[in-house]
Amino acid sequence: MEKILDVKNLRISFRTNNGRVKAVRDISFDLNKGETIAIVGESGSGKSVTARAMMGILAPNAIVDGGEILYDGMDLMKISEEEFHNLRGNRISMIFQDPLSSLNPIVKIGKQLTEAMILNGKSSQKDAKNIFNNMTKLLEETMVKAYAGNEDKIAKAKANVAVLKKFIEVSNKYEFEYNQAYDMLESCLMNAESLRIEIIGKKTAVVPNHAKKVVEEAKRACNPFLISKDNNEYMTLVNMIAQEGAAYPKTGNGESLTLHLEELKTMLSEVKAARRKASPNFFTLGYYIGFEPNAKSLDELAQDVEGMNTMTRTYIDEKFMTAFLEDIAKALELAYLDSVEKKKAAVAHAEDVLSFLEADSIDIKELKKKLDALVKDVEASIDRLSITKDSTAYTFRSAMNHAVETYIYAMHLKNKKHLSASEKIAFENTDYNLVVTNMQVCVKRLVEDYELQLQTIDTDFSDNAVDMIDYLKAQGAKMVYRVTKSMAKNRAIQLMEEVGIPEAEKRYNQYPFEFSGGMRQRIVIAIALSANPDILICDEPTTALDVTIQSQILELINKLKEERQLSVIFITHDLGVVANMADKIAVMYAGKIVEYGTVDDVFYDPKHPYTWALLSSMPDIYTEERLESIPGTPPDMTEPPVGDAFAARNKYALKIDFEQQPPMFKVSDTHYAATWLLHPEAPKVEPPRIVTERIERMKNMEAQSNE
Amino acid sequence: MSNRFRDAEVLLEVQNLKQYFGSMRANVKAVDDVSFQIHKGEVLGVVGESGCGKTTTGRSIIKLYDITGGKVIFNGETITVGIPELKIKLKEARKNGNKEEVARLKKEIKEGKHINKTHTSRDINKIQMIFQDPVASLNPRMTVREIIAEGLTIRGIKDKEYVNKRVLEMLDLVGLVPEHADRYPHEFSGGQRQRIGIARAIVLEPELIIADEPISALDVSIQAQVINLLNELREKMGLTIMFVAHDLSVVKYFSDRIAVMYFGKIVELADADELFANPCHPYTKSLLSAIPFPDPHYEKKRKRIIYTPELDHDYSAEGPSLREVSPNHFVYCNTAEMEKYQAEMK
Repeated sequence: MEKILDVKNLRISFRTNNGRVKAVRDISFDLNKGETIAIVGESGSGKSVTARAMMGILAPNAIVDGGEILYDGMDLMKISEEEFHNLRGNRISMIFQDPLSSLNPIVKIGKQLTEAMILNGKSSQKDAKNIFNNMTKLLEETMVKAYAGNEDKIAKAKANVAVLKKFIEVSNKYEFEYNQAYDMLESCLMNAESLRIEIIGKKTAVVPNHAKKVVEEAKRACNPFLISKDNNEYMTLVNMIAQEGAAYPKTGNGESLTLHLEELKTMLSEVKAARRKASPNFFTLGYYIGFEPNAKSLDELAQDVEGMNTMTRTYIDEKFMTAFLEDIAKALELAYLDSVEKKKAAVAHAEDVLSFLEADSIDIKELKKKLDALVKDVEASIDRLSITKDSTAYTFRSAMNHAVETYIYAMHLKNKKHLSASEKIAFENTDYNLVVTNMQVCVKRLVEDYELQLQTIDTDFSDNAVDMIDYLKAQGAKMVYRVTKSMAKNRAIQLMEEVGIPEAEKRYNQYPFEFSGGMRQRIVIAIALSANPDILICDEPTTALDVTIQSQILELINKLKEERQLSVIFITHDLGVVANMADKIAVMYAGKIVEYGTVDDVFYDPKHPYTWALLSSMPDIYTEERLESIPGTPPDMTEPPVGDAFAARNKYALKIDFEQQPPMFKVSDTHYAATWLLHPEAPKVEPPRIVTERIERMKNMEAQSNE
Repeated sequence: MSNRFRDAEVLLEVQNLKQYFGSMRANVKAVDDVSFQIHKGEVLGVVGESGCGKTTTGRSIIKLYDITGGKVIFNGETITVGIPELKIKLKEARKNGNKEEVARLKKEIKEGKHINKTHTSRDINKIQMIFQDPVASLNPRMTVREIIAEGLTIRGIKDKEYVNKRVLEMLDLVGLVPEHADRYPHEFSGGQRQRIGIARAIVLEPELIIADEPISALDVSIQAQVINLLNELREKMGLTIMFVAHDLSVVKYFSDRIAVMYFGKIVELADADELFANPCHPYTKSLLSAIPFPDPHYEKKRKRIIYTPELDHDYSAEGPSLREVSPNHFVYCNTAEMEKYQAEMK
């Protein structure tokens, strides 16, 4: 599986008046694509701090003492704020714990939901436009270089780029219209069903309005490739629904209306199923319509979508694409080979810098000069025509700057004779070896990355050329994808319904204080989901909700996870919730991971006494005996205990627990726990009765259900 | 396990309690015609989703609101009567010209007003409440001693030594030490703050405690501490508790009887074991199917039942009411449904 996030030896502390609170002490874990990791622990165990570090929203008094969080080749602990803007909310999104403080009290719910959508839509439109224009320009320039001397070919390549620009516009227009109609169709299906339920429930007052909405949506769902405007059967049906819906409060005749709604639903579902089997290829269609003088009309083409797709595909391949792909491949090859040479030079340069960094005393002026030159080299070596962005190289400058600045500040403190009080604290807290290593790690990562890339050198660029066309197509689609206010509103209302808010349309115009706690939390979740992130961090999202809603929200997150290959980091203290959600579990206590394993490992074979304590302190529906609570409270993290942090509250604690920190003992390939009880010489201890009994019962239940 | 408190005397009786917000006509029916009894020594769990009126029921009983209709009887004495509903009835009776009815209602209103005036919320010391949020419910500018003693002071006890003694006793009872008395709430952890809230509630030696989600704002490990504490206090002081919560596993563990509420109505009321063994009402079923369970293999297979009132009930022929389906098991249903439920049970 593809590793998407890798946390290595992370240490975070907070500067306070009483000293440094060591919130996270050396934790490591990783997360694969489409996987859920649950971080479990009491409040104050450092789970939220870890999550916030990933979002780059640590409190200002936080100090990252060391470690790294690698995401897509970037170290999230070192990249600049501007680079974080592209990640936060868009690619890494977070659901916060407290719905009261994460909503703006003086802005209507609807506005808060749509704000990000509209802004995002605008900026992604702008970005796509820039990318598209820059890319085509660069492509043209490189083609000119590649065909240097051959005027004939150059002119042809230039003409081809112009053709591409023109017909992508046409196909985007059609695709946009089609997608809008398709959205309408889906929403119409949903609303028709809810209207049917309302008629059964005899909610007379709302029926006319909702019927009007269904009719409007049914009309707007018309598109040559879905349901034609000239389809008489469909139009009469829609008109009948409109009439009956308006007359419903007077006549009270629900039967024929329900029947017609059913008919509408079957009709739309059929269209939907057909389109799912074969959706029109607008890219080729755009070229066909744009450049074929005797093109057939859309309605005619829509009769046979599959036939149309093959026809337009052969048409475009013959007339245009084959030749153009050759041009692109040529350009890509030139750019690639050029960057390979430059990368080799950059690696040599970087190794030179590394040896300079290993010297005992480093001259700051010299260091700055050398690193500047290296950064320039690296930036020049980036293959700008490659569509997979090499994040390590792109963020190299800011990561390097970050490391160098800390180094320079540390040196400044070291050489200064009279320190102010705050400087003194900073001086005492700085680890001088670490600031140098940080710089080295930065350069080393780049070298490793480049060496890996240089190991295999591509020679065939025909596939890449196809990818390039796809990429330009996608950017072109984004250029026309305009998020209008009404679209954002529709989407927001749909999201609100998805997270289980009744009367979403009415609620859309209310303020946060008009919502109950559970409702507010659902709004927060809807906002987080609206951006389609890669990684979703859930910081106790369901703690304030009741079971039915909790289970709805968890199902929703699970569904999204599967649909979008979303990776989820789920922070909670409720192990019952974790069992449903997680693939892996990390149990945290006092800033450390004390047990780490798959969900089966932790639930069926827990090893750490803290995990036992957590499991035994929660009742389930079979529990009858007295609960085993954990005595006392978590330790003060300004002076973390010398030995195992949990020892003081642990009735299984050994003498060594108070003297020495236990290492991570390996239980199986996937299961680790940090407790001296796993040491071969430790006495054998059984988990508490309440835990063993529950595991026994769970095993029995499973055996029974398998029979 | 049958309910061992069934034969004990009735401590609290709620009759047709209605609590509407807004005007009497177009309004939010937070609690709509709810009746139940709590026997002495018993724990009644009230569950339901957020916004179903469980907290409002608790608050109406303790007279934090003026109720719209119905009656609350505590220890055989009526403590609150809903006036607005009686007034509307009076209006109707006048319209119909029913003189006897008018006279009766007039008398009832007069008596009700008197009852409401004499039993102010300050006077019902025997009912106390524990609140959900231990941070918001403690005054940050008062020491723990002042917070716990406030009830005694308001009651007019001036003997400082006695008050002090009581405060220390209470601290001991909830597992805090005397040194804690002079600290402020912010110096305590969440679990300790909830203990202070409990100490404040029990200092007046109440007979009934309304615990409004006392543990949902706490960590799991601390939740167990508070539940154990409430269990101990119940044994030591013979408390009767109305336990409002949404965590069904905890309610099952802690309560003798459970009332399930949905949109202001009690839809099912039965002994805890009976409710979990034979849930009748579709809403209860959907609620039970949503309980998360610390067992990954079971969880992956769990299917949630979805409750849609319009599709699950057909009340066109006959409206529903709270009926006894089997001994001491009440369900909100009509005759047809009742027969169906009884058949299912056998």
